[in-house]
Parts: sequence; C-alpha cells; structure tokens
Amino acid sequence: VSTTDQFGELLEAYALGALDAPDRAALETHLATNCPECASALNEARWLISQLAYTAPEAAPSDMLRARLMKIVREEAVVERADQARSNRATAVATKPAIPFWMWAAIAALLVAAVYSAWDARQLQQQIREVNDRAIAELHSREKIGEELAAVRREASILADPASVKIALATSQTDASPLQANWNPKLGLLVSGQKIPQPPGDRVLQLWLIPKAPGAKPLPSQLVRPDANGNFVLLVPSPPQLMAQTKALAVTEEPAGGSPQPTTTPKWVGAVIFSETKD
Amino acid sequence: MRAFEQLYDRHCRLVYGLVFRIVQQAGTAEEIVQDVFLQLWRNASQFDASRGAFLPWLLTLARNRALDNLRLKSERQRRREDQTEELPGICAAPEFEKQLDEKRRVSRIRELMTSLQPQQKRAIELAYFEGLSHVEIANTLKEPLGTVKSWIRNGLLRLREGLQATT
Repeated sequence: VSTTDQFGELLEAYALGALDAPDRAALETHLATNCPECASALNEARWLISQLAYTAPEAAPSDMLRARLMKIVREEAVVERADQARSNRATAVATKPAIPFWMWAAIAALLVAAVYSAWDARQLQQQIREVNDRAIAELHSREKIGEELAAVRREASILADPASVKIALATSQTDASPLQANWNPKLGLLVSGQKIPQPPGDRVLQLWLIPKAPGAKPLPSQLVRPDANGNFVLLVPSPPQLMAQTKALAVTEEPAGGSPQPTTTPKWVGAVIFSETKD
Repeated sequence: MRAFEQLYDRHCRLVYGLVFRIVQQAGTAEEIVQDVFLQLWRNASQFDASRGAFLPWLLTLARNRALDNLRLKSERQRRREDQTEELPGICAAPEFEKQLDEKRRVSRIRELMTSLQPQQKRAIELAYFEGLSHVEIANTLKEPLGTVKSWIRNGLLRLREGLQATT
C-alpha cells in the first residue's frame, strides 16, 4: 500500500471532520508535501461531503432575517462606495506627477528674480524720469537766463548806442513819475519807469505808437505791470512801425490782456523827435 | 446588491435547513445564516464563478459555523478550535457534477442516503450534523472504532459511486 493510498482512505473522513487528532495530524503532514493525487482527491471529497447538506430538510427562515441582512448589506455597500470614491480621489492625487524640489526652488528663484527685476526697472525708470525732469528744468532755466541776459544786453546796448533816441513820456498824474523811452532803429524800443503806481485790480499798462499819418489809429504794443516797488522795464524788440513814421508814444491803463484800441485817456505821452540821420 | 438578494432568495432555504438541522434552534440558526451570508457578501471577490465551487463553499461554511456553535456549548470544542475562524477551502466540482442538473443531484443524494444501511447512515449523520469524530461516534453507538470507520468510509464511497453512476 503506497503512502498516497494509505492517506487516500482518510480523505473523505477528513473532509467530513471525523478524523481523530492522531490521524488528522498525520494526514495534514502528508498534505503539506503538496501530493497532487491527494490534493485532487481531497477536492472531490470536500465536494461530496458538501452534498450531504441536501439531506437536511429545507426550511424557510423568517422574513425578518432577510430584511435585517439586506439592511446591513445596503449600509455596508454605501460605506464601501464612499471609501472607493475617497480611494479613487486619493489615487488620482497620488498618481499626479510630483514636481521635484529642485524645480520648486528654480521657480521660486525665477519669481524672486522677476520681482526684483521689475522693482529695479521701476526704480531705474523713476531715476531716468527725475534726471530728465531736472535736465528739462535746467534747460528751461538756462533758456530763461539766456533770454534775460540777451534782453539785458539789448537794453544795455539800446541805452549805450548813440543812435538811440531818448523820449520822455510826461504825465499829468501827481503821484506818478514820467517814463523814459529809448528807441534804437536797429535794437528796438525800451521803456522804463520808477515809482509808478500799480494799476487797480488786474488792469495793465499798455504802450501805443501814435502814427504821424493823419487819421491813423494808435498801434497797440506790449503790456506791463510795475513790480512791488513801482518799477518796470519794457523791451519791444520789433516795434510795430518805424520810428520815422511815429509821432508819439503813449501809455494807457487797459483791462488785463490789453486792448486793440485805447479805452482810456493816455496817462503818459511823449513826442518822438526823430532825426533822419539816426534812422 | 440585486444579485446578492437573488442569491439569498435562491439558497436561504437550503442553508437555513442545514444550519437548523445542526443547531436545532430557530433563533440561533437565523443568527448563523445571517453571519454566513454576510461572510459571503464581504468575501465575494474570492469566488470564481467559472470554477462552479460557490455552493459547496457556502454549504461548508454554514456547516462549520453551525458546528462551531454547537462546540461552544460542549466540551468537544477544543478539538477544532484552530479551525473555527477559517473559511473553508474552495473545492472544484468533479466532472460528473457538471453533467447533473441540481434537481436531479439533490434527488439522487437523498435517495442514496436513504438507501444506505441504517448504521452507515447514522454514523455519517453523527459526523456531518453533530460534528463527532470516529471515536466519539463509536462511543455514542457503542460499536468498535474500526467498525464505525468502515461504516463511514463505505457509506461515503457508496454515495460517490451512486452519484457517478447517475451520470
């Protein structure tokens, strides 16, 4: 009798659960060797024993058992679906490609560099704007100084040039001094005054050239307001007509911005005594 | 879920009948049947339908749980303590089972069981429904151990041959 035959006789009783401890231990030791014949025979023996269940009379359990069982199963199914959904979400998150640390570091460095560059560029632009503004202001200042210097030079030239004609503009005002005018045929007309009362409000003093031609209207020239001390210097580089054609100079008080024709009686008037040799 | 309900409705009478036959108490039998079907629900992934082993597995599980319950009430429980929490092994159905429809097989196994000698039938029933070992059966029937072993072995062989002959 082979070992397999010897244990084969025990397989049905083993499947039935009827073997006593010594026989069961011996058989299980043999089964642990993975004997293929016994493994196959044990399968058949288990099936055969399971068929004995049909020899018990069938009986119906209560409806309450079914209801209780299905309630438990439904609740477990709900929990299982929720767990599965959570697991799927977790898997989805876990399977996303992770961004390595060095890439985070590189991104952070780029961001810092970009922010610094933007800040630096704004600072630079601000500095450039300030330098430009200063340069423009300087240029304007120089232009103004240059203009003022040119005017002063021209005034000085007019005053010093022998070709200039001096014209005294007299006034009937008791609180005002006469005005002085110097007209150079090439350099222009210069009018100045000292201790001149301020015109009321925003009114201004306006210079007029009175033509020699009969019936000709006064030609409007420049406007001026005396400073706080009542002084002013008015330079007319290009008077509206030649000295030879001008009979007199007059100064009136006019509204701000001047007038095309005098609206008040002249407060200062001076005759232009012109010598042909000077023009 | 629907499939599980259908499965319960189809097999609950057989499973409950087996368990009740072993424990002889309706309340206890229902508790065990509930436990068995929950075990089935929770281990559904273990079964390969193509192997046709589901019902033998379910019946073996039901029997084991019912016998465990019996043993908890008796001094014999130590004998199988190490098996109480184990799920039964999955057994492949033999070729001849596939050629028998279920009704014919059930009818045949009942006929064959009835046709056994009374001592054979009694010894097998003591082992299957009451979980007794050879020695315990011999003591219960007051018969020699060798005789009891022969009754059981010969009875089971007769059942197997009878089922094979049916095909």
